Amino acid sequence: MGLYLLAIPVIAVLLFAFTKKNRIQHRISLSASTLLTITGAVITRDVLRFGSLQFGGIFYIDSLSIIVLDIVLVAALLVSVYSVGYLETEIKHEKLSAAKLRIFYILMYSFLFTMILALIVKNMGIMWFAIEATTLSSAFLVGLYNNKQAIEAAWKYVIIGSVGIAIALLGVIFLHLSSIGVLESQQYLDWKALYHHSKALNSSIIRLAFLFILVGFGTKAGLAPMHTWIPDAYSQAPTPIMLLSGVLLNSAMYAILRTVAIVNRNMGSSLFTGRLLMAFGILSILTAAIFILTQKDYKRLLAYSSIEHMGIIAVGIGVFTPLSVFGALFHMINHSLTKSMLFLSSGNLHQKFDTKQILKIKGVLKILPVTGTVFLLGLFAIAGAPPFSVFASEFTVIASIFNSKNIFFGFVFVLLLATIFAGIAVNLFKMFYGDNESGDIQPGEINIPGTVCITLLFVVITVTGLFIPKGMQNLILMAQNIVMGV
Amino acid sequence: MSELFNSLSILILLSSFILMANKRVKSYIKTFRFQSFLIAFAAGIIGVKSILEEGRFDVLLVCLVIIILKVIYIPNLLNKMQLNVEYKVEKDFILNIPILIMGCCAIVMFTYFSLSGTDIVSRGAINNQIVNSISLTLIGLFFMISRKKAIGQIIGFLEIENGLFITALYMTGGMPLIVDLGTFIDLLTAVMIMGVMVFRINEKFESINIDKLNNLKG
Repeated sequence: MGLYLLAIPVIAVLLFAFTKKNRIQHRISLSASTLLTITGAVITRDVLRFGSLQFGGIFYIDSLSIIVLDIVLVAALLVSVYSVGYLETEIKHEKLSAAKLRIFYILMYSFLFTMILALIVKNMGIMWFAIEATTLSSAFLVGLYNNKQAIEAAWKYVIIGSVGIAIALLGVIFLHLSSIGVLESQQYLDWKALYHHSKALNSSIIRLAFLFILVGFGTKAGLAPMHTWIPDAYSQAPTPIMLLSGVLLNSAMYAILRTVAIVNRNMGSSLFTGRLLMAFGILSILTAAIFILTQKDYKRLLAYSSIEHMGIIAVGIGVFTPLSVFGALFHMINHSLTKSMLFLSSGNLHQKFDTKQILKIKGVLKILPVTGTVFLLGLFAIAGAPPFSVFASEFTVIASIFNSKNIFFGFVFVLLLATIFAGIAVNLFKMFYGDNESGDIQPGEINIPGTVCITLLFVVITVTGLFIPKGMQNLILMAQNIVMGV
Repeated sequence: MSELFNSLSILILLSSFILMANKRVKSYIKTFRFQSFLIAFAAGIIGVKSILEEGRFDVLLVCLVIIILKVIYIPNLLNKMQLNVEYKVEKDFILNIPILIMGCCAIVMFTYFSLSGTDIVSRGAINNQIVNSISLTLIGLFFMISRKKAIGQIIGFLEIENGLFITALYMTGGMPLIVDLGTFIDLLTAVMIMGVMVFRINEKFESINIDKLNNLKG
């Protein structure tokens, strides 16, 4: 079953290569992502029932990977539905040529393939090159519009991403070194074997390994100060790709989580990893707070908000109590869903108003009634207002910080979150007031299927904010046990 | 045998100093080719040794891939690239060369001190080799920030990759084969993608000075 996850994107790419009509390409994309989601659902059920799945020698799916994997698959479904309307509009506005559609879809499904591959292998080395491959497959997608800004963003994306990931490779090499003499040669870099023998690994080497892996994958996860590619890439990439690379941050965080599980078991405490993760986390939140307060471009603002939330997840993992890890994993899901919703609505906004400047947009609620309303409420949600799901998980993380007696740290953390709330309110709520002066923008929704997706996401984040579905809770608890090493 | 490895590792480190002292893009490529050749040589010796002692063919296979990829194909690709985009010779570095070389020395000392705390170095035989190869990686990073042209950055990235490979080779006798091959595929794609982007940058900005990539801020 698990191999379908890899086969479907490959078949889709082959089909795209042989079709010319845009209408057929849209259909292929829609059916491929639907199949992927169905496969994902079946695998999730199996994981809930059996705990973990192994197949084909190098593949391994447990509750930790299925959480991130499901986020990717849901994002894929959303993107494929949204892309149809989005791309047609772009072609109509002559921003993209019809021939580029095929390149877009081929690269998008290669991107999905590498993301899925990174999440279902147990060999840390293969995981590494799959994550590196995500950068490469999405580089041209970031630069798809081929103007000055897009090329600049794509260049920075490729260079910073590849160098970061190269540093992570050094970490993987150290991880390999620490296990020599402990593991059999066919088990080298196998995450499960490393995890089971973690007590026997060489501590001083594994510490170095963790440092390099944190900095390396931290670059891909968007932790400050390695975050600089994110605002550029997000503001220049087409909206569907913006959403997918938002999900990609989780995959990098997932690689860090896997390493944390090994290192903490090896050391017998979370002091070493915890301090580092908390420091990187709070620095990310601080950076995001400063840039959100002074931001003039709404897409960049959303990008900085992603950096903030990755910081929150890092802090949650760093505190390393059962509650905080639960909070971090739950936050990963909530943040991805809420942010996806915001990305898609910001895409609608961008297509309607044709500007990324906050000050040039007025009267969103009148011109785009549904998208506008959802966007407004989504901003409250992402800033952490109840009753939405981001509030629930942020609150869990905050509670766990105070529970673990980090009073001062918790205080700073809450203060920064409040600053970000204020920053989002001050900057973005301007867009909703007033009337649009120039009369050439007609009121009315564009991209109806996309807007339906946005509304559905909104319902989901509201419901999960009020109560967590049983299956999801079980999955997170199982994943939490894996990370905690119980 | 270990003396041979020691001297090879010092030569590789030296090649990174030479790379740092190069002024023209053309000479970067030459030095890079030389460095890759030294690395392929080291991999070849270890490969032959592992065939004779354990009957493993994988290191020799990897050595072959390095020769094809890093000694022949990528330098040629870069040469072609720079012929197409480089129409006048400009000064490419920000600081002057003596300062850059001093910086490299500082990096080697820094690596030595940070590794001396762990028991990799105190384990004996492999100590200096590891310091040298990790220094190579860091010097690669330093090279990237010291050059202004896009091709300079690609060379820096390749040097980092070289450093990583030689680190893995000296410390662990090579990574599992599938990981090594995956790394090479990634490397090749990365260089090709960067190459295409260099063309696009040259086309839109009329230069490959990355100083000019300053539209996106804040």
